[in-house]
Amino acid sequence: MSARSYESVEFGEDLPEVEPDVGMENVKRFCRSAMMYGPRFTDHEKAKKEGLPSAIVPGIMSQGLLGAIIHNWAPGCTIKSIDTVFRAPLSVDSKPTCRAVVTDKDDDTHSIEIDLTIVNEAGETRVLGTAKVEL
Amino acid sequence: MGMTAAELKERFGDTVFDSVEVEARGEDMVEFALACGETDPCFTDSSHPDFQAPANFATKYHGARMLPSDFPKFDPARMIDAGKAIEIHAPIRPDTKLTAKSHLHDIYEKTGRSGLMVFLVHRMEFTDESDELKAYVDWRLILRGGLQ
Repeated sequence: MSARSYESVEFGEDLPEVEPDVGMENVKRFCRSAMMYGPRFTDHEKAKKEGLPSAIVPGIMSQGLLGAIIHNWAPGCTIKSIDTVFRAPLSVDSKPTCRAVVTDKDDDTHSIEIDLTIVNEAGETRVLGTAKVEL
Repeated sequence: MGMTAAELKERFGDTVFDSVEVEARGEDMVEFALACGETDPCFTDSSHPDFQAPANFATKYHGARMLPSDFPKFDPARMIDAGKAIEIHAPIRPDTKLTAKSHLHDIYEKTGRSGLMVFLVHRMEFTDESDELKAYVDWRLILRGGLQ
């Protein structure tokens, strides 16, 4: 059961912004757990040789960061789906911000829809998506 | 002239072309959750009575094949990763053996400023030992220029 009740959530409500840890050590930790051993995720120089600006955060880690801000906002909620578009690479060791806003409420199922974005320091959207969540 | 999206869908749609077995290990679930910033002990503490994998854990798995073996050949440089979606049907518990079956769930085309694009939706269906559906993971791929 969610610590956040369906009734207490407002349409248009912003979830607290989060600056996730996408430092190299944490990305390496993620990669080990996800069995992603490509150097493009864990080595800046090798990533540059592949034509990337730096090592990049795995797309599914970005998706996981967005899932976590939902869980941390409404502990006990159930994420039914997350759909993400990896619009542009997110650099390892950068300082991105995760944002989320409630964009729909369904009174019949007590579920909500949340729009999700990750922006870089320049304010450019790198990842965007939508989640459906039951409270 | 290559095949159209409709022809591809008719020939390849909804046919399982790959099946793999994977194990969802508890320690990987904890590390995955912590790296993503989860704080709820049901994701980060393997001794929690409701311990389970974080929402998108199944996205980490890959099959043995991305496309059917007889799918028409194309230049891989024309393929773009257009995103990933997960639909969760039941929690994944630690040390569960999962079967992941892959099929092309949808194939469609759009024409934009840069020309024709064929979208391939690769779906992996995850079930456990008792055949309970755990999740669908959809990987959207764009083939720029279609099949020339």
